[in-house]
Amino acid sequence: MSDDNHKKKMKAEALWIAGFLVVLAFTAGLNFYITSQKDFSIATKMTGSNSIPNGSIPIVVTGYQWAWSYTYYNSTGKQTFVDNLNITVNQSYTLVVTSIAGAQQFAVIHDLYIPQMGIQIYAVPGQNNTITFTPDKTGTFVIECVEYCGYEHYLMRGYLTVVA
Amino acid sequence: MSSTGLLITASIVLSFFFIFLFLLYYKYLSVKTEVDVAANNENYYDYSSYLIDKKKTSSAISLNSFIMNDSKSIGIRFLITSIVFFFIAGTFGVIMRVSLFYPHPTLFAGKEVLYDILTTEHAILMIYMWAIGSALGLAYYLLPRFLKLKSDKFGNFSSWSYWIWLLGGIFILLSRTSTRWYYYPPLALELTPYGAGSMNWLAVIGIEMIMIGVTISAIVLVRNIIYERSDSIPLSKMPLFAWSVLFTLIMFLASAPFLMTAMIMLFYDFVNPVFFTGSSSSPLFFAELFWTWGHPIVYIAILPQFGLIYEILPKFTGNKVYSYTSGVIALGLLLPLSELVWGHHLMESGFGIEWGLFFSTASLFVVIPSAITVFNYIGTMWTATKIRITIPMLFVINGIMDFVIGGITGVITAVLPLNEQTHGTYWVTGHFHFVFMGITVGIAFASIYMLWPSLTGGRVYNRRLAGWHFALTAVGSMIMSMGWTVGGFLGMPRYVSGYFARYQIYQDVAIIGGVIIGIGQLFFLANLLLSMSAAPQTETSNALEDAYKNLSMAGGE
Ligand code: HEM
Ligand SMILES: [Cu+2]
Ligand SMILES: [Cu+2]
Repeated sequence: MSDDNHKKKMKAEALWIAGFLVVLAFTAGLNFYITSQKDFSIATKMTGSNSIPNGSIPIVVTGYQWAWSYTYYNSTGKQTFVDNLNITVNQSYTLVVTSIAGAQQFAVIHDLYIPQMGIQIYAVPGQNNTITFTPDKTGTFVIECVEYCGYEHYLMRGYLTVVA
Repeated sequence: MSSTGLLITASIVLSFFFIFLFLLYYKYLSVKTEVDVAANNENYYDYSSYLIDKKKTSSAISLNSFIMNDSKSIGIRFLITSIVFFFIAGTFGVIMRVSLFYPHPTLFAGKEVLYDILTTEHAILMIYMWAIGSALGLAYYLLPRFLKLKSDKFGNFSSWSYWIWLLGGIFILLSRTSTRWYYYPPLALELTPYGAGSMNWLAVIGIEMIMIGVTISAIVLVRNIIYERSDSIPLSKMPLFAWSVLFTLIMFLASAPFLMTAMIMLFYDFVNPVFFTGSSSSPLFFAELFWTWGHPIVYIAILPQFGLIYEILPKFTGNKVYSYTSGVIALGLLLPLSELVWGHHLMESGFGIEWGLFFSTASLFVVIPSAITVFNYIGTMWTATKIRITIPMLFVINGIMDFVIGGITGVITAVLPLNEQTHGTYWVTGHFHFVFMGITVGIAFASIYMLWPSLTGGRVYNRRLAGWHFALTAVGSMIMSMGWTVGGFLGMPRYVSGYFARYQIYQDVAIIGGVIIGIGQLFFLANLLLSMSAAPQTETSNALEDAYKNLSMAGGE
């Protein structure tokens, strides 16, 4: 390799690395920026200090083998749904998710996932995880369990209906 | 079939199996006695050192490699066995893929758990038996020449290591476990229909044995690299493949204890559930222990192949590796960094934003050494005056491309907000199949093709068949992983035997890809059978092992 050529190659390498680091730094920045937004929420273990935000309606979600049950508190009292959930658009909700033993011996890990809402949260035995979201569109969406939880795992799914 | 009929068939099959085992044992004994006598006559106290002295080493595939304990024979053992497991696990893969043709289970209707068994077995066997096995095989086979070993001691340890590892793999197969490859308790403690789960304890023992086996090999190989390396090769001149094996094995030894401890505790839980269930404990403790091993293992499955790419490229470009130093540094950086990112597999489990951001950012750092490595490959090809496109070279180029796609999908899923969308979906499956198919599978086959004359005792492979093997593997895995990646982004869950009808198109595209891959591997088998049945026609040397005299573009082809 001639000296001149060598210099050119060095420059290419420097450019590649610099360009690469810029893209990476940009990604990291975006990561921090988006997660600092007020409407961003991710599964968080419930302790004393992080309770339900003001104005957000709590829904207690329990996963068991093999269904989701949703207990919904409003002014008229409490209501329980299994598999499917009905909620109102532009209203903030906080899911409080946990796992209990069903027909089988143990409570196992599940993972509640609503792809069209970008919401995902583990249901861990003996632990309450919370996540807050506000549906901004009406329609019917899918709810899935995406952590393998036994024989009928694939049937642990339902529909989310958002009404105006 | 009536149950009597089934019993009769099973007994006949079993009898044939035992007769076969007996013949094998008989053959082994007679050969061994013969060799023992000969060794005794010439005053050797152990037959293996006699064979090594007499026959030099046998670099070709033969039954001898199962009784001889020199590095090459051990390497061949691991290589053959890992290929057998590759085909077993691959068959499982194709079957389960085809079973997903309709949104509701059809092939496994009424016994959906068979799907779960196949998927779990596929994953465990591919990772522990194929990826680790082929890497160990190539390391044992190539290192003696790469390091000009002063002596080849501890062969009997390696031999033990092999048999323990193999038995572990067989236990995994027999256990019919269905707990996914990460065994989360308390699910792993639970019994499910059709026997899936009733023998989970055997799978735990199997994994433990595999880990013990690989640990022994790791220690022997690290020792070989450090102490048995010829004095003429300082560390600073050591081939990059040897570096990559060294880093891989250190990474293995550093992270294996987490899994081995977790597995012992899990085994205890089968008897008396105290560690990961119960009021003072959480199943997440196991998950955390598992992923502390679970992330390093995915790098263990590609690092040796990264090293092999560095060895293969010069053979067909006639060019030195672009930057040896940055190659070593990048491979070495992957080691500490990939021990820090295990949390990115659990970001939705309740860690919260702070820990999520930590693991997310740490995962971005892992990309830096990966990118340096890729640049090194590109640089090597780019500064070459000419590139010879041969079958191994095609695998290498395709592997680099697949790794870039796999890396980008990895970065995307490592970003915290996007992980919430992609975790638990086929996006993740797509991400690691890009890497595994391109690097782990592709580079292993590239090396096998380069070693072909040595492995088969002087035969050559059929280029046409090898070309089809390459093309079908590359195209099939691209179609399959793309179908998964796109479907996954739209929320298609992984590890389910049935799914919402809205995902059928992505599943079916992936089936096409999967079947193409399956057919491609048959070309490899055909090639092997054809060339083995022909007479030897070249020398038994190969270009890959000439680590020190390269820079010709011949590359053995
Ligand atoms: C380039 C850097 C990489 C980054 C940033 C990265 C990132 C990630 C992330 C964030 C996940 C978790 C996805 C989730 O479940 O939410 C993941 C999963 C996975 N990655 Fe990577 N990855 C990288 C490279 C690799 C490589 C080289 C391999 C080796 C084949 C690999 C194999 C896997 C596997 C097997 C899983 C899935 C484990 C499972 O859930 O079963 N990754 N990766
Ligand atoms: Cu579930
Ligand atoms: Cu990882």
